[in-house]
Amino acid sequence: MQVFNLNSVKPLNNDDMECKTLHKDLIFYLDNEVSNQKRIEIEEHLAKCVDCRSFLSFLKEGMQIIEKEKNPEVSPFFYTRLSARLEEKPEYQVQSQWARLAQPAFFSIILLLGIYGGSRLGSNASFPKVNQPATSSIQMLNDFEAEPIESFLLGEL
Amino acid sequence: MDESELIKGIQQGDNKAFRLLVETYQRMVVNTCFGIVHNTADAEDLAQDVFLEIFRTAENFRGDSKISTWLYRIATNRSLNFVRNNKRKRFFQSIEETFTGGRNRNSEISENRNDQPDQNITDQQRSDLLHRAIDRLPEKQRTAFTLNKYEELPYQQIAEVMEISLASVESLIHRAKKNLQEQLYECYKKKCV
Repeated sequence: MQVFNLNSVKPLNNDDMECKTLHKDLIFYLDNEVSNQKRIEIEEHLAKCVDCRSFLSFLKEGMQIIEKEKNPEVSPFFYTRLSARLEEKPEYQVQSQWARLAQPAFFSIILLLGIYGGSRLGSNASFPKVNQPATSSIQMLNDFEAEPIESFLLGEL
Repeated sequence: MDESELIKGIQQGDNKAFRLLVETYQRMVVNTCFGIVHNTADAEDLAQDVFLEIFRTAENFRGDSKISTWLYRIATNRSLNFVRNNKRKRFFQSIEETFTGGRNRNSEISENRNDQPDQNITDQQRSDLLHRAIDRLPEKQRTAFTLNKYEELPYQQIAEVMEISLASVESLIHRAKKNLQEQLYECYKKKCV
């Protein structure tokens, strides 16, 4: 990769079109993923364009962060902590298995009891409502039969 | 001890085999998780979850892929889930802060950074900028990019981990780099670092 001396190059007016086209390839240029012809084009442009050079160095510094931060040091107690968590496992598993079985069973029983109670209450409440008007109307009719108004009034007179 | 013996040992509940597996692969798993969550403590917690899952589901391992491929797959899935849950939590936190008038956590962080030397501010800002840009990538692009850049995995192995074709990996990494460059360019233009 060619190294550019920022002080030795005079700042020129940038060709915006060329900048826009080459900007898109700078990340691939950094990773050596461009063709030889493209590389030459980019390097020629970088030689005369201060802004693109500046962006390239910004991009390079940004991507170097990955190199600096990768492979963080792992805690020396990693396995100790892990084995402690493994030992917790049987109790946790028994609890979770019990909870997995008991919870749905409990809620199913509650649901069934609710349905049963509701149907019982509903059946008790609905019968009188349906039968009462019929019986009362029959009673009224019977009352008329037993004691017609006219005869009652006639009796009074 | 080769891979099949190691897995057989873990399947039989052999703690020595499990310890050997952890010691061989812990750096790799922590680094993979770190590439996605960008925090060492969270990455270690996630790596522990990965090994616990391996120990508990070792009998399901058919041996048609390498142990490392299996570990990478679990590590990336768990890390992406962790990031998703964190996003959800932050969303609800921001709603809560809107109603309670709580202070924004980001402003507290930037205030705390005022105590640090200039060089560290720039490094930290660059690091935050890159992490934000990586976090904005679609999940598949982020996974492929992280495995390639943090773990330096060849495209073929990334294809095996992600269970996609080699061409798809190439395309994902290409788009990830383009997206990252666009985001970094936006920031460069605005002089955000």
